[in-house]
Amino acid sequence: MTAKSSSSPTARGVVREIGRYTVVRLVVYYLLAGGLLLLLSAMFPEHRPSGPGPGAPMPSTMGGMLDWFRGEVALFPNGAPRWIDALFQMVGAVVLVIPLAFSYVRTRTRVKYDHSLVQTVIELPVVVTAILVVVRDSLALAFSLAGIVAAVRFRNNLKESGDAVYIFGAIGIGFASGIHALSVAAVLSIVFVVVELSLWKFNFSADFERTFARLCLPSGADLAGLPEVAEPPRPEPAAMPAPDGKSARLRVYVDRADAARPLIEAVLARDAKRWSFEAEEPPANGNATVLAYRVRPRKSVGLDGLRSNLLREGAPHVVAADDAPGL
Amino acid sequence: MTTALPLAIPSLDPPVAPRDHAAGPAGARVTLVEYADFECPSCGAAHGVIQAAQRALGDNVRLVFRHFPLRDSHPHALDAARAAEAAGEQGQFWPMHDRLFERQHALEADDLARYARKLDLDLVRWNRVMALSATEDRVLADLASGRRSGVRGTPTLFINGARYDGLVERGPLIDALARVALATREPGPGRQS
Repeated sequence: MTAKSSSSPTARGVVREIGRYTVVRLVVYYLLAGGLLLLLSAMFPEHRPSGPGPGAPMPSTMGGMLDWFRGEVALFPNGAPRWIDALFQMVGAVVLVIPLAFSYVRTRTRVKYDHSLVQTVIELPVVVTAILVVVRDSLALAFSLAGIVAAVRFRNNLKESGDAVYIFGAIGIGFASGIHALSVAAVLSIVFVVVELSLWKFNFSADFERTFARLCLPSGADLAGLPEVAEPPRPEPAAMPAPDGKSARLRVYVDRADAARPLIEAVLARDAKRWSFEAEEPPANGNATVLAYRVRPRKSVGLDGLRSNLLREGAPHVVAADDAPGL
Repeated sequence: MTTALPLAIPSLDPPVAPRDHAAGPAGARVTLVEYADFECPSCGAAHGVIQAAQRALGDNVRLVFRHFPLRDSHPHALDAARAAEAAGEQGQFWPMHDRLFERQHALEADDLARYARKLDLDLVRWNRVMALSATEDRVLADLASGRRSGVRGTPTLFINGARYDGLVERGPLIDALARVALATREPGPGRQS
């Protein structure tokens, strides 16, 4: 359903696509959020509206019309009560931080994704807003807050350093909301999302030479003289990708592949919902051959049951069956 | 390409005997002897590796455990070993062994008593056996046998009597055990080492 607006192969050959609908959704969201916040700010003004007040004739200038509108829709002509004002700022903070959370979800892989961070990013501005509403201009309260924060230690290991930026973004939105600067919060939200999605899409700085040339060299400079930066060998993945999340890679140690395979595959045909032969590793020391299978055992049998059956029915040719990931 | 097995010459002294704590059939193709200390973090890590090897090889492997408490660096190791021996006297050596490795951070006397309670041991009897000098002698006998066999640190493994010098990690260990199992064509009933 997602129509792709563009795609760009990055330095590592990964094609990253934001998707046209993603962009459209974000734009529509920001427009609706802007309208909602404007309406709410007019309905719940912190201070007495400066307009002519309800029932006054509509002026002809744009500024005058805005003032007239505020005067018409304001629910509290003498300024909203403090709790309503705080509620409005918090709602504004949440509305403006949701795109950040969306951006996080869009740009993280399943491995790097941290659902608690998404919740933190959404909740954090509410708390920050509330704190600032409480602290306001009180130096004493500000010092008390600093003391409390110093006393309570927060320890959390972020999955990657970039996640901290989201925390700071959320704090920034909360701060701006807390001091009645929702327009600043809105700008922060928009710029953050645009920059984050752009950096992710173009995988900026992943290609050292291009980045170096763009940032450090005059246009058209020769890159041939650049010192080589050796990329360390990448370790093998820790786990074999399981195509459906339920299958395992079994390494079966046998003495003779020709004799063992029929026995193994008879067990697999009976006890596995799905299986496929992947590879035969030649004997390393003249006696052990390893046969690798991708298997999805039947629920009624389970992986342990399948392994036991392989060892029992594959004897004497089969001596071990290991499902260790990454082997 | 031929890869030599990371095994030293057979040196286990004494060979596996009925007095040893053994899990797995006596006639298994491979006997894996482990010298370990319940408080040693490397032994804790090796515990999971050995369990995986037992699952992978099934009845083809028999695990034998011998104590090697490093008392200088691990003050609770000897008491933990005695606790395991006392549990073994009630037929619960392996459950206690597993519990001790899984809770290496809590090996005080109260912790050991709590584990004994969890295993439904007769606590009076367990305490009495714990306090016997024969229990400690048994542990120290294992320690001495380890020294004679060339054990310098924990965990040290012996595969069919030969010291295993490879990595105590899942892949390399299972690989070595499987290769020895295949080299041992016929399982011998009551194979000792």
